[in-house]
Order: sequence, then C-alpha cells, then structure tokens
Amino acid sequence: MIGGRRPIQGRKPGDRRVRVERPHAPYFRYTGPGQLVAKQAASLPTTPAGRAWARVQAAVFGRPLMQEEELGERLPKTKALPIFSSDAISSSAYASDEIIHVLILAGLAALTLSIQISIAIALLLTVVSISYRQVCRAYPSGGGAYAVARENISQTAGLVAAAALFIDYVMTVSVSTASAVSQAYSVVPGLYGIRVELALIAITLITIANLRGLRESGNIFAIPTYMFVGLALLMIGLGLSRIVMGTVVPIPTPPDVILPPSPTEAVTILLLLKAFAGGSVALTGVEAIANGVPAFKPPESKNAANTMSIMAVLLGVIFIGIAIVGVAFGFQPTNEGGPTAIAQVATAIFGAETPLFVLFQASTALILFLAVNTSFNAFPRLAAILAADGFMPRQFSFRGDRLAFNWGVVVLAVVAATLIVIFQGDVHLLIPLYSVGVFVCFTLSQIGMVRHWFVARGPGWRWRAIVNAIGGLLTFIVLIVVASVKFGGGAWLVVVLIPIQVSIFLFINRQYRASAAQLSIKPDFVVPEPHREERVVVPVPGLSRAVVQAINVGRSISEDIRAVFITEDPEAAEQLRERWQRQVPHVQLVVVESPYRALAGPLLAYLDVLDSAWPPDKPAPITFVVIPEYVARNWWERILYNQSSKRMKTVLLGRPQTVVVNVPYRREDPAQFESAERGYDRLHPPSGSAPPPSGQPPLD
Amino acid sequence: MSDHHVPVFRRAIIALNGGPSDARIVRLVADMARGSKAELVAVHVVEIDWTLPLDADIAGQSEDVQRILDMAEQVAEESKLILEPVLLQARDVGAAIVDESTERGADLLVVGLPYRKRFGGEFALGRTIPYILQNAPCAVWVVRDPIAEEKP
Repeated sequence: MIGGRRPIQGRKPGDRRVRVERPHAPYFRYTGPGQLVAKQAASLPTTPAGRAWARVQAAVFGRPLMQEEELGERLPKTKALPIFSSDAISSSAYASDEIIHVLILAGLAALTLSIQISIAIALLLTVVSISYRQVCRAYPSGGGAYAVARENISQTAGLVAAAALFIDYVMTVSVSTASAVSQAYSVVPGLYGIRVELALIAITLITIANLRGLRESGNIFAIPTYMFVGLALLMIGLGLSRIVMGTVVPIPTPPDVILPPSPTEAVTILLLLKAFAGGSVALTGVEAIANGVPAFKPPESKNAANTMSIMAVLLGVIFIGIAIVGVAFGFQPTNEGGPTAIAQVATAIFGAETPLFVLFQASTALILFLAVNTSFNAFPRLAAILAADGFMPRQFSFRGDRLAFNWGVVVLAVVAATLIVIFQGDVHLLIPLYSVGVFVCFTLSQIGMVRHWFVARGPGWRWRAIVNAIGGLLTFIVLIVVASVKFGGGAWLVVVLIPIQVSIFLFINRQYRASAAQLSIKPDFVVPEPHREERVVVPVPGLSRAVVQAINVGRSISEDIRAVFITEDPEAAEQLRERWQRQVPHVQLVVVESPYRALAGPLLAYLDVLDSAWPPDKPAPITFVVIPEYVARNWWERILYNQSSKRMKTVLLGRPQTVVVNVPYRREDPAQFESAERGYDRLHPPSGSAPPPSGQPPLD
Repeated sequence: MSDHHVPVFRRAIIALNGGPSDARIVRLVADMARGSKAELVAVHVVEIDWTLPLDADIAGQSEDVQRILDMAEQVAEESKLILEPVLLQARDVGAAIVDESTERGADLLVVGLPYRKRFGGEFALGRTIPYILQNAPCAVWVVRDPIAEEKP
C-alpha cells in the first residue's frame, strides 16, 4: 500500500488497478467544494468512559437524530392535539373547583351559578381561540404572543409577553403536577404523605420523555389524553341523559366538604367576578399551539389553526358539561385532600370504586400530569426563539441529540420542581400565581394582531381586526379582574417577576449586541497579511521531555524564544542553567528568582517587562506563552499534575496581545523521543561530547 | 411462474460515472434491494493516463471524486441500506469494473448510460459499456438517461 493506494492485479496483465483508501469516509461526507458534513461517527466519544456514557444516554434518551430527521419529528394533528392541548383540556379538571370554592361563600344555592360562569368562560375561550387561529396563520414561525407583540407593539411588549408566558409555563408544570398528585391521593389517601416526592418523580419522568424528542413524547402521551377526553364526554353524555330522563341521584356529601359560612355572603358582582377569575384558569395553555406552529407537519399554520379549534371545542364542551352535570347532581367544594369536583361527578355517574370510575380518575391524573408536557414543548421553543433573537443565552437555541431544546427542558424542570418543594405540592397555594401571566399574553397578542391587520390589510382584515379587538378588550378586562382578585393571594409576585425578567432579557441583549459590535468586520474589509512580530515565552519547571516538546513547538512559532524558570532555589537554578546550556543550547534560559515563592506574579511581571522593553516605534508583538503539560491518564493523575500550568493559564487569560498555547505531552510520545535519542546516540557516540548540529533540535 | 420471494440479486455492483444518472441508479437499486437486504457496492473508477504512474495521487486528492461515492452512500442510507463505496484508479474503466465485480462475486452489475450523441448525430454507447456487456460474468443492467429535449 502506497499512501493509501493499494495495487490489485487484474485478470489480464494490463488491467491492474489501484484501490484508493478514503480516510474521510467513516467520519465525513463531501457535499460540495470544500464542504463536508460530519457523520455520526465524528461525534462519537473516543474514550471508554465517554463511550459508556453515550450508551447510557442512548438507552435513556434514544439514539441521536440528524438535523434532516427534524421533519420526521414534526407532529400530525392527532399527536399535536394531546401534546399542545393537554394543558388546556386538563384545566377542566380543576377550573370547576376554583369556581365553586368562591361561590360556596354565597351558600349552596349559589353553586348553580357555576353553569353561567362556565358558559361565560367558554365564550371568552371562543374569542381567544379564534384570535389565536389568526396568530397561527399570521406567524407560522411560532412565538405566539411574543412574536406578535414584538413586531406590532414594541420590543418591550414582546418581552413582557414572553416573561408572562415563562411564568405561566413554570406554573403549569408545578400546578398540573401537584394537581395530578392530588387526584392520585383522592383515590389512595395514603399517598398524601409522599406527595412532594411523587411530584418530583413525575417531573423527572416527563423531563426524560421530552429529552427523547417531540414525536416520541407524542406517542407516550396520546393514549391517556384521548382516554380522558373519551371518558369525560361519556360521563357528561350519561349525566345529561339522566337529567333528561329525571333519574338524577344526588351525590352523597363528600368528606372534607367546605360548608357555606354563616351568615353567607350576598351574590354580588365582585363575588361573581372572583368566581370568574378563578375559573379562568381553564384558558391557560390555549396559546401553546400558537407558540409551537413550526412543530406541526406542513401545512403548519393550517394544521395548527385546526388543532386550535378542535381543542377549544373539546375544552368548552367538557368544561360546561361538568358544570351542568355537577350542578344537577349537587357537587360541592372540598378541602385539600377531599374529592375534586370532577371526581364527585364521576362518582355520581360511574359509581364509586367501579372500574370506569378508577379508569376515569387514572386518566384525569394522567392528563393533569401530561398538561405539564404542553409547557415542556412550549417553554423550550419560546426560549429558543428568544435566544435566537439575543434575549436569552444562546444555549437555549441549541438542539440536543434528539432535536429537543435540552436547555429549556432542563431549566423548566428545575424551576418547577423547586416551586413544588417550596409550596409542598399544595395546588391552592400555587394557583394564585397562575393565570395572570396568561391574560397578559392574551391581551398583548390581541392588541398586536389588531395593529397587524391594520398594517397588513389582507382579505377580510376588517372583521379579523374586529375579532381581535373584542378579544383584546375581553381579555384585558379579565386580566384586571384576575390580577386584582388574586393580587393579595400571590399574584403580586407575578407583577414583580415580569419586570425583573424583562430587565434580564434586555441586559443579555445589550451584552450580545455589544460583543457583536466589537467583533464585527466591515463587509468591504479585506484581511491583510499579518505584520506583527511574534515572540515566545516558555515557562519551564525544569528540563524534561514535556519541556523539550514545548520548546520545539515554540521554535516553530518564532525564532524569538526564551524559556523562563521561576524558582525560589538559586542552587536549582544554577544546576538547570548548566544543563540547559549543554542540552538546549539554542534557546535562551531566563531564571527568575522568586524569594516570595510566587509563580504567576513573577511570570506576569516578566511579560510586562518584555512589553515595556519593546521598541515604541514598532507595533507591539504577539506573545505566545507556550505551556508544557503532562496529559493525565486518569482522574487521580489530574490532581497530581499540571496545577501550576492551570494557575498560569488562569492569570494569563485576557492579557492583551497574549496567546496561551498548551503543549500536551502524551504517554504515546516517549516512543518518538526514544527513537530520536537513539538516532542522536548513533550520530554522537559517548566519547564525543559535541553539541548537536546547529539548527537541529536536540530531541524531538 | 416467477417466485417473488427470491431476491433478484444478493450482491450488486453499481458503477458510477459521476454524471446526473448516478443518484437515479443508486436509488433504483436501493429500492430493489430493500426487501432482500442485498449487499450494495458502489464503484467509481478514475482513469489514469499512461503518462502517469497507476498509483499517482489523483483520486484521493479530488473532492469531486469523493463526492460521487459520498452521494451514493447517502442515497443508500436514505433507504436504510448500507452501501460500500469503492474508489479505484485504472488504465481502463471497463476492465476495472468487471474485475472488481468478479472478485467480489457480484450477481448484478448496474451501469448508467448518459444519452449522448456523436457529432454526426448518432447515439453513442461509448466503449466501457460494450466491454462490460461482453466480459462481465454476472447479470448487467444498463440504465439509460432519458433523452433530453432538443433545443430549438
């Protein structure tokens, strides 16, 4: 074989051929002139530990996906519905509770008003979902309220929407997980004691599922979502039929029931508004589809808009249905730990402890748990859009091995888990923080869309603008109501958190813009030949093979090279100088005595002295500090070696006109040295003590 | 009566000439091989002039040549098949392809034929394909490019 070309005999003497090896082929693929695409093998770890870790990752998260497989990861409507709508649909499991918790203050009779309040919320849902359908079509790249507000109102408005959404997504994860756990201990009261642990396990599992990628998480979550929707519709259908047939059997008074106060409050507008505000949590998650339009299969906008409509219809029907059946069967609010409104309705319709009841409770717990998934899809996407716009650290826009935005997924999980621990998994303590942010987004996106239609003036822009204007007005009113009603209960925290987040976004953006301005090159600038001189300084701890290797690297950079030996021991310095002159005669050794035993300080001072000694009429040279390093074979060798070089690198970091070069000495290198030494011995037998020929390195 | 379960081939050599038909023939063979999990080998031969030594560093240095085989590998991967790319230098392309397929025990050799006309306006087969048709020990498929529309 000659240079990767292997001769092969042919059948006839003149038919010899040569097989040409293709060393790039296992790792790269040429796709154009000077253009290579890395194959998976190029990203595989090379160390045994790295390979083992990669195998663990593949087992837990799945095999890495190629960028081209992104389209295959896109969602059809059937999978997108459970992924992006589980949040909205699942809120029907606890929104009714929030309404009757308020209405009970006016007595049991006031609970019937939950029907009217649910209808009012469903009307609001209709307006909001029609508006968001338009957002899906107008902003196919996603971003929802952030994109709309940023483009049509102002950058700050967009950031306010994003901040509000972030709070909401975190709250969704915390509230839904806590709520799912509460459904579980409605059935098995013994689980109440380990509710925080259960919630944390649930968040960990859903985090892993999302790190495995979008499509797979859709596969995991589709069945429970459809099971909940199917059983909820069946329950409502059966309930309505019993109402029509007059065979309603009232729900027995549940344990932990909240009794009306004595005397009861009057049914005032304020009370109704409070109940409305409480029930408006049902609208949370509606915007998630508009944020994730690019996750849909083409045509993305159309599919997203249609999924939005299906979701709104399902949520509206289930929400109103539970209220009607619940009122007819006499549901009541309960304290934390008691059966929820939906559980009471299920008991009345399916019968307590029947298989259907247990299945429905299980599916309710699962969909509440899966509501978390909506946030796990929407939060990382929004973070990625903000990162791409320079308002969040760039890492948030990087896709992981499975094309998921890993940073967003992990950060969301950590923040939500922290909240669960702080609030000890109590849903009612968390809910006041919830749903303020979402109405901020609704309002901003509606206002933005009105402006959008006035500017775009496409077909039917007038009625579209009217729909958005009505939506904006309604959601603004609800925002005021929700914020004022919940303000004392914890919503003030959201009001504080939004400006803090916006300040952080703007700070990050300023940093990125400043660095971009510093690093930018004018388009007409042609890079000239370098004209600066270079010099090399090699800090040496003695004379060793690693040092010789570093010296030789330094000599390949510049002829202006000196080795610097910093020591507190003059005797050691003298010994090294004697050896150095004999063995490395072509490189100057500078000994810096350091009576105070400092290493980094004298080196820096020496570099400063070199700089000041440079002729002022010449441009300052680039100083290469070449640091010899011994490559540690394992973790304990890392502790034993290279501590001084690490210190030197740290202090040299950021020094003007200074480049630090690490020259690693590997365990494979002795063979090279030994052969070089043998060659030198042959040329210079021991009797002759002449130095090596000029210009030749003594060892290499 | 033909048995549909018997694979048409077990080991196919696809000779690539670097033309536009390469992707088409790789896709065609990959489609046929998918069910039978047949072995695919893509061969590209760089003809070396007699003025140069046979092992002159020609093909290894050319990105264009590497790209021909990389493209074939990619097309096969899209069909979830493994294709072995082989790059050869030879004095005669036809002989190199026939020898390679003989050595590998291939039962199918696929070559692409661009539709070219001589200056006189006659369709030209070239000399490589007739050589392969005459000497290849296995079945040979010649896939001709469609006739490009005449420009007015």
